[in-house]
Amino acid sequence: MIKVYHSSFVDEAGVTKACGCPLLPLKSHIKGPAPVSDQESTDIVDEAITFFRANVFFRNFDIKSSADKLLIYLTYYINTALKRLEGCRTLAEGTKAIINLGLEDVPVPGESGFPFPGLFSPPGSRKEGELFRNYLKQIREETSGRLLSVAYRSNGTPNKWWLAFAKRKFVNIVAF
Amino acid sequence: MGFAGNVEPCFILPTVVAVNDSFLNQPRTSNKSNWMTQYSAGVMADLDFFVGDEALSKSRSSSSYNLQYPIKNGQVENWDAMERFWQQCIFNYLRCDPEDHYFLLTESPLTPPESREYTGEIMFETFNVPGLYIAVQPVLALAAGYTTSKCELTGVVVDVGDGATHVVPVAEGYVIGSSIKSIPISGKDVTLFVQQLMRERGENVPPEDSFEVARQVKEMYCYTCSDIVKEFNKHDKDPSKYIKHWKGVKPKTGAPYSCDIGYERFLGPEVFFNPEIYNSDFTTPLPAVIDKCIQTAPIDTRRALYKNIVLSGGSTMFKDFHRRLQRDLKKIVDARVQASEARLGGEIKVSVSLVFVVHFCADGSLAPWRAHVLILPLVPTIGSQRSQPSHSEICSMVWRISACFNSRVLYVVASIDMHNPSRFKQACHTKAEYEEYGASICRTNPVFKGMY
Repeated sequence: MIKVYHSSFVDEAGVTKACGCPLLPLKSHIKGPAPVSDQESTDIVDEAITFFRANVFFRNFDIKSSADKLLIYLTYYINTALKRLEGCRTLAEGTKAIINLGLEDVPVPGESGFPFPGLFSPPGSRKEGELFRNYLKQIREETSGRLLSVAYRSNGTPNKWWLAFAKRKFVNIVAF
Repeated sequence: MGFAGNVEPCFILPTVVAVNDSFLNQPRTSNKSNWMTQYSAGVMADLDFFVGDEALSKSRSSSSYNLQYPIKNGQVENWDAMERFWQQCIFNYLRCDPEDHYFLLTESPLTPPESREYTGEIMFETFNVPGLYIAVQPVLALAAGYTTSKCELTGVVVDVGDGATHVVPVAEGYVIGSSIKSIPISGKDVTLFVQQLMRERGENVPPEDSFEVARQVKEMYCYTCSDIVKEFNKHDKDPSKYIKHWKGVKPKTGAPYSCDIGYERFLGPEVFFNPEIYNSDFTTPLPAVIDKCIQTAPIDTRRALYKNIVLSGGSTMFKDFHRRLQRDLKKIVDARVQASEARLGGEIKVSVSLVFVVHFCADGSLAPWRAHVLILPLVPTIGSQRSQPSHSEICSMVWRISACFNSRVLYVVASIDMHNPSRFKQACHTKAEYEEYGASICRTNPVFKGMY
């Protein structure tokens, strides 16, 4: 009875898919392929951040819907980001580290370096692959922004309650 | 430990023995000065040991004392240390003459008969006791829940101690041995998990003390939550209410330090309901284990077993542990009942309302995290007609178990209400029997004879 927290975005009608994963709407101002979501509702990034501290403890994750795949990817990404933030004492340093993370290559399923081989189906065409890559870039940037606002307190010092989770290994995959 | 007839145990000790290793096991080639001190220590060297809390404080203050824990996972591993422990208990703490008193000891249900034999040997040979009864903890736990003379001896005892966790179904006072389940998660694992979380966060705790601090944090601040994510949010919204502070003193320098206690307050006990978060080898949560255990019991006992689930053991004392357990277990059972109802097409009406009555048999007023040994005095007989009491009569004496088990100690204290002490005496293994038949009389325990 594994009690991970699943995504609530189970209804997939009308959502574009790429690599077997729905491109869910985001409350984002960043440009990208994601559809724009309502500013008041919670989107998948909010869910990922809320569930992160609970889900990061689990080593097995049963998938209830394809939105869960995105949740898993985001949880892993938050883990990676926190690891980068480990040494940063101030918000400015942290932001710099995250920007560096964002400038790195974003692999899509099928390429080496993608952390969950087998979870997503490989892209059917180059266009689909590029679409997914852009979506991932956008969602990563959005997640980083919201993460920084939570991982650092209002005066710019790191919030140890969040940064402790950098040491956790989600699904036993070491975040690089 | 204590005396029967008292309401509370007299003493509560952790099972630990501190031996002075500098005098024992000296190699032959030690230099002269050591030999002189050993010679002068002489006969007293063997008697130079402490037990319980004194042992812990002595080992901290002086490095010549090493701690030994004779009991691991509920079983006695080191009989020499155990004998020393009993010796101190009887002569120093209770200050009674063992030849005058009948003894009641308790054991875990999965103890091998050899263990009982050794216990009997030690008790009868070393201490010369007139009579000994080795009781099984879960049956006492069930009986302890009631204070009237009519007690319900069918139920599942969930004993969550420091070293071992057992789920033991008991029907009519007989342990259903084949259905006993044990899980490798116990209080010690919760402490280790709390210690790990605190270390990951970089809390300011001196490393040699971190296990002790984690243990005390667990005992003082941990609680069971209903939902992890909601708890995280509650902590975020109101940190002053939820984040506690721990103040301690560094042992080496004496400088005070303080650290914060936050998420481990509810993540610790969560280990029982989601073992995966701590250890990926074992993933069945406690309610599922209890359910499986009852399902392997004989079918006509199951309803009664579901109705009476008794919690015992220090690690069940977390706030709201019983409510969470009841809720999760009910979910499993309801799901199964509904699945079967769907399969039968609704022709047979199955009642889904199983009532779980979960009792605590630990008296929260006492220091709950330690465990105890019980000793009974010899009392004048009040007169009884029957010569050999039946097993159910033994259990129908009212026991009041006054605190929880700690896996470091496998014995529990119960104080008997003075109903039928004579019958109790008749149920014991007596010295006369021991001399006639030998230590093997202690191997059997009527509780395991069963009704099948």
